Amino acid sequence: MDFSELSHQTEIRDSLDKILSEHCSQERLKKYDADFKHDEDLLSLLSTNGFLGLGLNEKYGGSGEDLYDLGILFERLGYHAAPLSLSGCLADVAQTIQKFSNEESCNEILSSIIAGEIYTSAILEPSNQDPENPITAAEIENNQVVITGTKYLSEIASIAKSILISTNSNEGVLLILVDTDQVKLTELNSTANSPLFKVELDSVKVDRESIIHEKGRGLEALKYLIQLNMVMRSYIALGVTEKMTSLIAGYTSEREQFGRVIGTFQAVSHRAADCFIELECLRLVNQQASINLNTNLDCENEALVSKIWAGNACHKISYSAQHLHGGMGVDKDYVLWRYCLLAKECELINGSASQNINRLGENITTNQ
Amino acid sequence: MLIQLNQKQVKLQNELQEYFESLITPALRTELNQPEHFEGGGPEFKKAMKTMGSDGWIGLSWKKEFGGKELSPIEQYIFVETVMRTGFPFPFLTTESVGPMIAEHGSEWAKEEIATKILKGELIFGIGYSEPNSGTDLASLQTKAIKQSDGYLINGQKMWTSLANFSDYIWLATRTDFEAKNHKGISMFIVPTDDPGFSMSAINTLGDVRTNATFYDNIHVPETHLVGELNQGWSLITSQLNLERLALVNHGPVEELYKDVLETAQSTKINNDQYLSDLSWVKHNLAQVHSGIEALKLICWKQTWIMESGQLNMAEASVAKVYGSEFFIEAYRLMMEIIGELSILKNDSELKILNARLERMYRTASILTFGGGTNEVQRDIIAMAGLLMPRTR
Repeated sequence: MDFSELSHQTEIRDSLDKILSEHCSQERLKKYDADFKHDEDLLSLLSTNGFLGLGLNEKYGGSGEDLYDLGILFERLGYHAAPLSLSGCLADVAQTIQKFSNEESCNEILSSIIAGEIYTSAILEPSNQDPENPITAAEIENNQVVITGTKYLSEIASIAKSILISTNSNEGVLLILVDTDQVKLTELNSTANSPLFKVELDSVKVDRESIIHEKGRGLEALKYLIQLNMVMRSYIALGVTEKMTSLIAGYTSEREQFGRVIGTFQAVSHRAADCFIELECLRLVNQQASINLNTNLDCENEALVSKIWAGNACHKISYSAQHLHGGMGVDKDYVLWRYCLLAKECELINGSASQNINRLGENITTNQ
Repeated sequence: MLIQLNQKQVKLQNELQEYFESLITPALRTELNQPEHFEGGGPEFKKAMKTMGSDGWIGLSWKKEFGGKELSPIEQYIFVETVMRTGFPFPFLTTESVGPMIAEHGSEWAKEEIATKILKGELIFGIGYSEPNSGTDLASLQTKAIKQSDGYLINGQKMWTSLANFSDYIWLATRTDFEAKNHKGISMFIVPTDDPGFSMSAINTLGDVRTNATFYDNIHVPETHLVGELNQGWSLITSQLNLERLALVNHGPVEELYKDVLETAQSTKINNDQYLSDLSWVKHNLAQVHSGIEALKLICWKQTWIMESGQLNMAEASVAKVYGSEFFIEAYRLMMEIIGELSILKNDSELKILNARLERMYRTASILTFGGGTNEVQRDIIAMAGLLMPRTR
């Protein structure tokens, strides 16, 4: 039993905080409140400092295959409300390719991701509750695959070189990397102004080599991708809720009413303490899930538990933070509001708490 | 980071499990199912304690020099977990809290006469801390021990002295300095329950667990019955508190119950082609309990790891206490919903389910949110130590 971070992990956290706190000042974040929310300078800085290789094998230029390291990156991005949406690129694409693709693809794609090239995924579909069973269809014709379907909530697709698409075919599930210029993109306007896209594929033809995995391993790869995405999103949620909780503690320790600091009222401090408890639970279930995913490609129940806690923590802590800040909490000149929007995004994308509870219950009762 | 038990710990777990399976005979099980023996104290219980003593399973947390096994906090946690899963009312407070303190801080008499017998499984202690007017604010306690030429004269009253009805001694917190600030004037004594000045009246609780009000009327004890330095008792009261709180919220029993409820739901037919576990709300409740247990297990494991590495983290110990105690109440409710009306049938009733454990557990669950340091105080600690907020008033 050892809950301590290794020294290199603490270093990752510290240096990320240094870079991110400089780059995510209120002034800079304001710039992205209405614009395309993607900080190119910050991305290249993360690349130069090796942070895009977290969780990737050294032989591709990464810093080692530990998903906990990658979790730290997402946690800190969440904590600083960084204008970067990277779970599609660094979790979905990079990790799934590392685990399921051949050496050649790994060499090519992973090293370019580390260098700052953007890839993304498009997994979720409107009106499909079960991402493991995509509606998007792939027809295999000789050496070609023809894909038709609609995906949504694909991150930063407009600047991605290629998009990893999940499909169903007569060979089962296939994960296929499609060049972005072959699809139709529509930007969606969502609650936290994150760059999310609808991706339409109308008989898009790609080579068979664009399937990223061995024959017959598509479903396994897709399940891994979905689980990893849940866990990494839960790390973003951890950063977001950690920041909100520290804002609560800071604000209520200074704000005075009735001649005393409001944090000295038990009604206030106890609500803050409940946020701390929620946060601690989320941190632990995330750690367990990411560590287990390191050695086991299928940890669905652990991933579900982590996303369930993330969904609940995002909801509860966000509203506690808004409430305990009073009007300040909703004032756009103060920092909290951005986190509240991000919290709702983390809560809902790739499975809400209720949806995942349902899924977990299904697994438990069928002994999975 | 490594979040699992190592081989040695798994081995200990298996060893303990086998041991308790053989220790708990049908006769002992029958005895423990009677309300007056829920907490032990019967002849079969006493026999089992002596067996454990001679087999070396008492004193696991004690230092080796006092005849203990000096297990690490995580190993102690595993011990508590495994014992609690079996349902044996192991007297942890006597063996793991009072025992090692007497072995370390007691007089020569106490070490030889008391500590040794605790190790052998021959003695049980009741804990005399709370008083009618000193509960959460324990340091305000008023039971007096007045110095005399040949010892101390004790007078006062204690509340919630559990196990006193079959204890040999009371581990008694008294005030010995009336001038000093609250927690600075407290001393600990070993008080025999066969003294004519000792008496009690039973308090019967909602959970059918008996506890007692105990009275101390001019009880004279020799100097040898003082444990630790005079007026230094507070640190003895608080030194083991974190481990004790952790034992209260051990994830073992609730996980054991969850497994049994799951199995019951999977094997209970509700019509010709459906089982209870096929219902969506049943799955929902099971998943809620499952994800709650996962967090509890991790919180507890982390806490043992913190203790093992010698760090002190007050906020996290309080997180464990608050989360665990409030989760139990929620978990029992969710599981009782699954079993439905049958879960209100008592242990001696026809049609009872799972030995009516849910029926009993829900009645005892409320004790934990206020016992062992009430959750309001724990939340105060979390806000102060975890969030660095100002002290509440």
